[in-house]
Formats: sequence, C-alpha cells, structure tokens
Amino acid sequence: MSRARNNNVRGPTSALTEFLRASGITPTTVARRAATQQGQQQAAAGLSNDDSQQQQDEAGSSSGSRRPSRAASRRGANRRESGYGSDNLDEDDEGNREEDQDENGADEEAVEEPERNSPAPAKKRKLTKAAEAKLKAQEKKKAKGKGKKGSDDEYQDDDDPYTSLSKSMWSSGSKPPVGDFENCAKCEKQFTVTKYTMAANPGPGWLCHVCAKASGKDPFKKPAAPRKRKAPGDKREVVHFVENRLPTLVNLCIKVVTQHIDDVESLGDIGTLNVEAIAKAMAKNRSLTAENAKLFYNTTNSKLVLYDATNLSSPAFESLVYLNPNLTSLRLDFCGQLDDPAFKVFTTSLPALERIELLGPFLVRSPAWKAFIKAHPNLEGFLITQSPRFDLDCLRELVSHCTGLKELRLKEFGKMSDDFLDEIADNLGGQGDSESILEYLDISSPGGESCSDAALVNLLSRIGGSLRCLDVSKHDLLTNAFLLGGLQQHTHSLESEWENPPLVSLDASRNPELQTDALEAIMKHSGTRLESLNINGWKDVEENGLRDIGRQGKEMRKLDVGFCRNMDDFIVKAWLEGEDVKGRKKGGCMELVELKVWGCNRVTANCPKKPGLALHGVESHIIRRT
Amino acid sequence: MEDDIEMQNTVTTGTSESNNAANGGTDDSQRANDWVRIESSDGFSYIVKRKVAQASGTMNNMLDPHGGYAEARTKICTIDERQANLWAPSGIVTEKLVEYMCFKSHYQTVGPKEDIPVQEMQERIPPEIVLEVLLAADYQEM
Repeated sequence: MSRARNNNVRGPTSALTEFLRASGITPTTVARRAATQQGQQQAAAGLSNDDSQQQQDEAGSSSGSRRPSRAASRRGANRRESGYGSDNLDEDDEGNREEDQDENGADEEAVEEPERNSPAPAKKRKLTKAAEAKLKAQEKKKAKGKGKKGSDDEYQDDDDPYTSLSKSMWSSGSKPPVGDFENCAKCEKQFTVTKYTMAANPGPGWLCHVCAKASGKDPFKKPAAPRKRKAPGDKREVVHFVENRLPTLVNLCIKVVTQHIDDVESLGDIGTLNVEAIAKAMAKNRSLTAENAKLFYNTTNSKLVLYDATNLSSPAFESLVYLNPNLTSLRLDFCGQLDDPAFKVFTTSLPALERIELLGPFLVRSPAWKAFIKAHPNLEGFLITQSPRFDLDCLRELVSHCTGLKELRLKEFGKMSDDFLDEIADNLGGQGDSESILEYLDISSPGGESCSDAALVNLLSRIGGSLRCLDVSKHDLLTNAFLLGGLQQHTHSLESEWENPPLVSLDASRNPELQTDALEAIMKHSGTRLESLNINGWKDVEENGLRDIGRQGKEMRKLDVGFCRNMDDFIVKAWLEGEDVKGRKKGGCMELVELKVWGCNRVTANCPKKPGLALHGVESHIIRRT
Repeated sequence: MEDDIEMQNTVTTGTSESNNAANGGTDDSQRANDWVRIESSDGFSYIVKRKVAQASGTMNNMLDPHGGYAEARTKICTIDERQANLWAPSGIVTEKLVEYMCFKSHYQTVGPKEDIPVQEMQERIPPEIVLEVLLAADYQEM
C-alpha cells in the first residue's frame, strides 16, 4: 500500500467514487467496523478495494457518515444478528430512513435492492444487481484471494466482489505495517505482525498467531471449498411430474405379479379368468416383459396371443417357444425384436403350428421365412403385417408348400406388387375343376405402388370363388374398372355357376377413386347378402349411392362410411327406418349393429339413433364438455 | 362382461342424455363434496367422497351428471367383478379398489418433496387376488 497514505494523486473518478468521497466514506471507517464484525455471521459491507484506496487519499479518516451505499449489505439483511439500525443512526444524509425500515423489516434475502434515493447509486445498484447475479452464479472469488479464513468467509461470499473488502484491505486500515511488533490482545505476548495477523474478535487489537489459531481461525487454512451455488437459471421451479406420479393400480398389480411370477399357485387360478383380458391389460401399458410373460406360458397351451411383445427380446421368444410347444395358433403383435435365430426356433420347435400371425417381424430374413414355410406345410393361416424382407421367393415357397392356406394376409408389405398377385393367383387359385380354398385375403396398404387393376382382376377371377373376405385397402390405383371387372365378375359367376355365397364382407376402404358407380355395382351384385361393408375414404360417393346401400343391404350389420362427405343425417335415417316409398316404409338396414361415420361432417348429434345400434364417430360426440 | 354392462348403459340411456343435460349441472364445487356409494356384487357397500371416486376414470364418467348414465342420478357405482364365479366374493376386489382410490386421491395433492409410500400400497395387494384386481383396475381406468 505504498500509495495508500500520502499521495494526493487523483485519477478519473467514477460516479461511485464521487459519491463515496462526498459522503466521506473511507476504507478506514469501513474496515474498523468490518473488523469488529469479523467472526459474526454477517454480510460485510464493503467498498471495493480501488475505491477505498482512493478514498483514503482524499477524505482521510472520517468518522462521519459511514455509509457505503450498502447495496451489498442489504443482501445479508436477514442474516444479521444486529441490524444495521444502529449504524443507520449515524447517517442521515442520504435520507434513507425509509430504506432502513424496509431493510429491517425485510425478511428475505433481497436480491433486488430496495430503491435508494441516493444520487450516485443508480449505476451502483445496477452494478450490484448484476454483480449479485454473477455472484450467485459463481463461487466467490475473493478479490485478492488473500487470507480467507474458514467459515466466516462464506458469508462474505455474498458480498459483491466490487464492494467487499479483502481481508488485507481491512486489516491494512488499522494494522501496523508488517514487521512491527504488537502485543497480542489475548495473551499479551509480543509478536511480529505479518500479513496473516488476525484482528481480535471482540474489540480492537491483534492476535498473535497462536491465539488466532486457538480461536479457530487459522490464517493459513486454505479457503473453504467454495460452496457451489446454483445458477439462477437452475433455480427455476421444476415441476416434478414424472418423479412423483402415482403409479396406477394396474402398474402396481403388474409389479406384484412379477414379484410372484415363480410361485404360480399363489397367483390364484388363472384358468378361470380371462387370460386374454389380462394380456390386454398388460399390453396397454406396454408392461409385458420376459418375466411377466411367463404367466401366460403353459405347455398345454394351444393358442397364444400377446398383444404387445415389444419388450420381448430374441432369447425371450425362444423361451416362449420352448415353453409352449403345443401351440397351434400363435399371434404376436409388435414383435419387432424377433430375428433370425429366434425364428429358427419357431421353425423347429412348433410342430403343430397351423396359424401364425405376426405384426412387425421385420428382422426375419428371407431364408428364415423359407425354412419356416418348408417346415410347416400344414399352415392354414399365414398373416404377416409389415415385413419388408418377405419377397417373391418366399411367396413362391409359400404357395407351393402350403396348399391348404385358408387365410393369407400380406399387409403393409414393401415388396407387394403385381407379381405377388400372379403367384397367388397361379398357385392358390382354383384352376379348372379344383376349387381354391382361400377364404381370407388381405393385401392392403402396399409399401410401394398399388397393384393394378388387371392383376387384381386376374387374381379375383381365380380365387374369387371361395373368397369370403377381401381387403384391398389403400391400393390407390384401383378404379371402377377393378370393381366392375373384378368383383362384379366373380360375384356374378359365383352366383350363377358355383352357387357359393357372394361376398359377405367387403373392405375396400380408402380407395379414393372408387365412386358411386362402383358402389352401385357392389350393391347390385352382392348387396342383398352383404353383411359388412367398409367404404371408408370413398369421398365422392353421392347421396344416391349411399341410399342405395339402404335399399339393398338388408343384411347389413356393420357399415363404415367414414369420410364419405355426402353422408348426412337423412341418409342415416333412411338406413335406420327405411324410406318412404309411396307412403309405405321400404328397405332400410334393419340388422345394422354398428355404424361408423368418422369424418362425415354432416352427421350431427341430431342424427337418429336406435337401441342396439352403436354409432361411432359423430364429431359432436367427441368434443368433451369439460 | 363389464363391457356389456357399460354398453347397455350407453344404449338405453342414450335418450335420457338430453334430459340430464337439461336438468343442468349442479355447482362443481358442491358436487365435489358429496358422497357416493360403490357397491360390489355381493352386497358390500363403500361410501366415499366423490373426490375419491374420481380417482377412477370410469367411475368419474359414470358419476358425471353430464354423462347421462344412470349412476349419476343414483350416485351408486356397481362393480360387478367375477360374474362368472358365483361363489367368489367380489367384495375383496372392490375393497382393494377403494383402498387404492383413497391412497391415490390423498397423495395426488402432495408436494414434490414428500415421499409417497408406494411400496406400502403394493404390499397390501395380496397375490391371491392380484389378477382380478388387475382386470378391475384396467376396466376402471385407474
């Protein structure tokens, strides 16, 4: 501090400095007070070192208003044991009475400084706030990093780095120059003042090193590991939804089941309960795991359905097969983890399997499929959805080996194409005298392009005879020609030549090209027997066509006319009650049990209802009243 | 089973829906404080506050006066568990459901710092009935 005492050099001063000078605040006064407050849990008020140095120059010592803009001091308001009230009595020039009252009354750590009406500190306050934020965001770095002494220092952490005094500063105010001899305040011994000399806790004086240490404040002690402060950003209220979410009772029960899985008897007689319902309940939460699934395994099982096998890994599938060797019918939804090795086990260890239904077995490769098919020539049902690896070769194998195939679903296949259809037609279709026995064909949602009319017509001409259920949804290229040529043709021939029942169920949804004519054609030919009709997506069907359904579809039980824009209440009425023809009610779909009208804007809440009829999809029903 | 019952309700009270709506809703806060009865098929009755019953999604809908179900008028929800086995009491299952509903409605409002004794609740479900409770809980949407 060579320039501390006798220089009269004044450099450019900030507003702060001016203010301090004007109010006669000097480091001396501050330091004195600070020194007495050492060891108490108080935020120290302080001046920045630079300022105080300059102040020393100018103002000399002043016992007058000892009031730094105590922006910093406010911070610790709630922690001070002796309020600053006593200090405040000394000054009045800032006229900050009201603030004092505020402060003493203020309970919380004031991050925002109360308004100070003193001239200078507008800037100071901003500084303070900013500094405060910075302060909270980082650990306190002492301005000079000198002599931090233990726990006391934590409270000085709150200090604004600009305004806090370093120890050395305080000490330097009253401390005799290093090297002098001093008498210890406690033990009266003489000791040499060093830069580590500590002020005595109560009252003036200085402690020798021994006494300082005895009082617990080791000057040499490294600064306490700085306490990490959370950045203000982190102090956001985090709403802990996920952590504290109450588990549902279903979840709890599943956990209990898992706990007791090995002790099957303790779980009660599962046979009397509806195993399917349990499987569904567990699948809803996606909580079926390799552990839980054991609940459903049984060597005597002939039928197994797992509605959500997502969490079953490849080895889990293998154990599934080993534990259920007598399966005749297997259905696995979402079996994405089923891969070649596991599927091999399917091939070898399920001798009795007649029907397999898989959703999402995309890992199974072509050779594996072929092996499986070869091993199961008795397959009657082969229903696969979503497998990009099942190609033409596999299909050839399938149709050549499994001649007894009754149900075939190749839904959402990437490789679906006309060739496929040709294969199917050639091999499964009836040729000449032999009848085909394919009853259920689902080739909807092809991955690539839709199949063309011609191929489908060809297909239908071969297998149409026995076909009971046909799903060709999402084949966008199908047009009226298909229906006229294909369906019309085969149903026509059905009736006349083979006397087989016409199509009972037709799902031609989402083929936007098909329109009124097609509908009329359908109704004309098989309308009287049609029980389930799905024309979802036929947006252009006209009113007349729709009414026609009512006129001809006597046996209709399930109707899906979603997104047929011309549907409205009156048509529904005509369907339910029959139409007025010359004064007499005629027609109508009396057997109708289920009617789906999703996306039909004109069907309102006022549309007629009938007991026994389940009406789905009226828009106004969906809007909840909360 | 239970699905049939619900379906029945929809259909037969479909026409009374408009009536109920016309009767107007009682004050929401008023409603929250009254009591409802949950009955099991073998005659056990549990009378709980409406707030507790609302822990179950299905019961909430049943009791909602805007919903048009018969239960809203009578304020009685019947739980028909184990229809198939006449010898098996469904009172036990209903009791567990009510227990869970109380547990849930109590702890729903607890702040993020408090611990919820989930394990305790889990231990109170005996494995002998856990499967039935599972199915009932799934139906009741809780």
